Amino acid sequence: MSSPVMQKNALAVGQPMVQVEDLVVRFPIRSGVRKAWITPVDHVNFTIGRGEVLALVGESGSGKTTIGKALMRIVEPSAGKIVVGGKDITHIKGRSLADYREDAQMIFQDPFGSLNAVKTVEQHLYFPLKKHRQLRGDDLYIKAGELLELVGLTPVRETRIKFPNELSGGQRQRVAIARALAVDPKFLVADEPISMLDVSIRAGVLKLMNQLKDDFKLSYLYITHDLASARYFGDRIMVMYGGQIMETADSRELIRRPTHPYTKLLLAATPGNPIREKLPETSNLAPNLLEGRTGCVFASRCPLVTDRCRDEMPKLTLLETGHSAACHYAS
Amino acid sequence: MSSRIPVLELEDVSVAYDTHNGPVQAVNRVNLKVYQEEIVGLVGESGSGKSTLAYAIMRLLKGAAFLQNGTIKVMGRDIYAMSPKELQAFRWAQMSMVFQSAMSALNPVMTVEQQFIDTLRSHNKQMTLEQCRMRAAELMDLVRIDPKYLASYPHQLSGGMRQRVVIAIAIALEPAFVIMDEPTTALDVVVQRSILDQIQAIQRKVHFAVLFISHDFSLVAELAQRVAIMYAGRMVEVADSGALTQSENHHPYTEGLLRAIPKLTADEIVIEGIPGHPPDLVSLPSGCAFHPRCPYVTDECRQQRPSLYEVGTSEVECHRYAGEKVVQHV
Repeated sequence: MSSPVMQKNALAVGQPMVQVEDLVVRFPIRSGVRKAWITPVDHVNFTIGRGEVLALVGESGSGKTTIGKALMRIVEPSAGKIVVGGKDITHIKGRSLADYREDAQMIFQDPFGSLNAVKTVEQHLYFPLKKHRQLRGDDLYIKAGELLELVGLTPVRETRIKFPNELSGGQRQRVAIARALAVDPKFLVADEPISMLDVSIRAGVLKLMNQLKDDFKLSYLYITHDLASARYFGDRIMVMYGGQIMETADSRELIRRPTHPYTKLLLAATPGNPIREKLPETSNLAPNLLEGRTGCVFASRCPLVTDRCRDEMPKLTLLETGHSAACHYAS
Repeated sequence: MSSRIPVLELEDVSVAYDTHNGPVQAVNRVNLKVYQEEIVGLVGESGSGKSTLAYAIMRLLKGAAFLQNGTIKVMGRDIYAMSPKELQAFRWAQMSMVFQSAMSALNPVMTVEQQFIDTLRSHNKQMTLEQCRMRAAELMDLVRIDPKYLASYPHQLSGGMRQRVVIAIAIALEPAFVIMDEPTTALDVVVQRSILDQIQAIQRKVHFAVLFISHDFSLVAELAQRVAIMYAGRMVEVADSGALTQSENHHPYTEGLLRAIPKLTADEIVIEGIPGHPPDLVSLPSGCAFHPRCPYVTDECRQQRPSLYEVGTSEVECHRYAGEKVVQHV
C-alpha cells in the first residue's frame, strides 16, 4: 500500500511520527459565577516513533481518551503543541483538518455504535475511498475488496454486501479497521478496540493490528485499561493518572520493574499476575482534576505518601534510558 | 468430594426462549453442583447462556424465557416446585444475587439505609427499626464502607462503593448461596481487585457459596476453586482452577481461551485467537456446537454431541476423551 499519500510529507529520518509538547486540555464544569475548570490532560509530553506502538494505560477518568481525541483533533487542545508527521496540527481547521484525517485515523471502542446500521460493509469503505482517494468504478470496487481481504473478512464477496447487524463484534471491529486503513493513514488512535469483544475474538483483532503495524509501518496510540494487552501490543507503555503521566518505559521493562507506586498498584490488581499480594492502597478516592490542585495527583491514594508529596508536584524524571517516572521517591 | 454438601444442584437444566420459529435453547442440558462455602466460576462469552442460567436459578426468567427441562435445587429444595409464597420467603434468605449493574440494582430515590431496611423487614417483620439500622451499619462495616454513607443516595457513591452496597444487601439475610453476575465488569482494575479481595474475605468470615459469573478467564481462575466453562448454552468443561494453568487435558475451547489471553509476565507473548465466532443460538451447528471452530474436528463431532468425560480432575464434553470414564450425573 505504498501510495502518494505516504510520500506526500515524507519524514526526516529519526523524526518521531507524533510529538506532543506540554499538552493541556481543560473543560468547564460549571458556568456563570461559580465557573470552574477541570484539566483531564495536564501538561503531557510524549512522542511516538514511526512504526511504534505507544500503549496508554490508566483507569477511567485518567485522561487517556481525551488525549486520543486531542490527537485526532476531535477536541482542540487548550495549550501545548501536537506535531504529527512534521505538521503542527494543534489548532488547524477546515480544509487542513480534513486533510489531516488522511494521516491519522481512529478505531473506536464500540463497534456496534461506530458503524452505520443502514449501510453495507462496502459502503462504509466507499465513502473514505471516494472522498480522500478519489477512486471510482472498478478501482473503488477492487480497493474495497483488497481492504476486506487485508483485515481477514473473507469470503470478501459475501461480506461486502452484509449489514453491520449480520456481523459479530469482532467482524465489525475489522470493518472499522478496514475503514480506518482506507485513507492510507500513518498513525492510528485505537481507543480500547478490544474491550467490548468476546475473549476468543480479542486475540485475533490484536494480532491483526500488530500485523498491520509491521506491514505498513503504522504508528499507534493504543489506549487501554488492560496491562496485559498493553504489554503484548505496546512497544512502550505510558501510565496515566489524573491527567498526568506517572511512568513511561519500554513495555517489558515497565512490567518487570515498575517504579511508580501507581504502576505497582495497577500491576498488583491485574488478574493473571502470578505475584499475589495485598493491595498497597490507602483509599479508593477518585483523583482531583480541578484546577489549582497542588502536590502529586496520586498522593491521596499513595501508600508511601509524605508531606512533600502533598505540597510539591513531582516532575517526570528520567531514571535510565527510556524509563521515566513522576514520583519523588522513584528510583 | 462426596462428603461435601451441595447448595446448588443443576440436573439436566435446559432453558429456552420462545420465538416465532419455535423455542431457542439458551441453556442446553447443564449439570453442575456448587458445594457449601465454595466459589465456582462460570465463564463464557456473550450469548453463551451464563446469565440466562443465573436467572433460571433465581427463578427470575421473564417473558419468552422458560425452564424447558431439568431440576434446579438450592439447599436441597426444588426451586420450581415452590409456591410463590414459599419462593418469596426462600429467595434472598437462602439464595441471593448480585446483579451486573450496581447503578440500576439500587433504587435512586431511596437512601442506602432505607434499602437495607426494606430488605431486612420484608423477610423479618419482627425486626425493629433500631435493629435494622444496627444490622445495616454492621453490613456496611463488613464491606468496609463507613456507615455514615447509609444516609447517602446511590448517586452520591462511587461505582465501587455502590457495588459494595449491592453485595452487602445480597448477604444481608445470610444466604447460603449467592450468585454474582459480573459484579466487577464496569469497574477499574484496582477497584475490581479490592472488591474481589473483599468478597473472599467476607466469604471466609460469614461462609456462603458463590457462583461467580464472568467473561474474564484469568480473574475467575484466581478467585474460584472450580471453573465451569459455557459455550453456546452447553457446559463444555468444569475444571479445578489449578488445572487451568496447564494447557493440556481441556476442552478445545478452553485450550483456545488459554492461548488467546496475553500473559502479563511472559518473556515473549504469543497469542492465538480462536478462528470463527460464537454461533447464533437460532442456528446451532450440529453435533458438538464448537466443531466449526475446533482444530481437532472429526466427522463424529459434526454428527453427535459428545458425552461428558472425566479427564483428570475435570469434566470435559469432548469426543477426544472418548476413552475416559463417562461422568454420571444422578
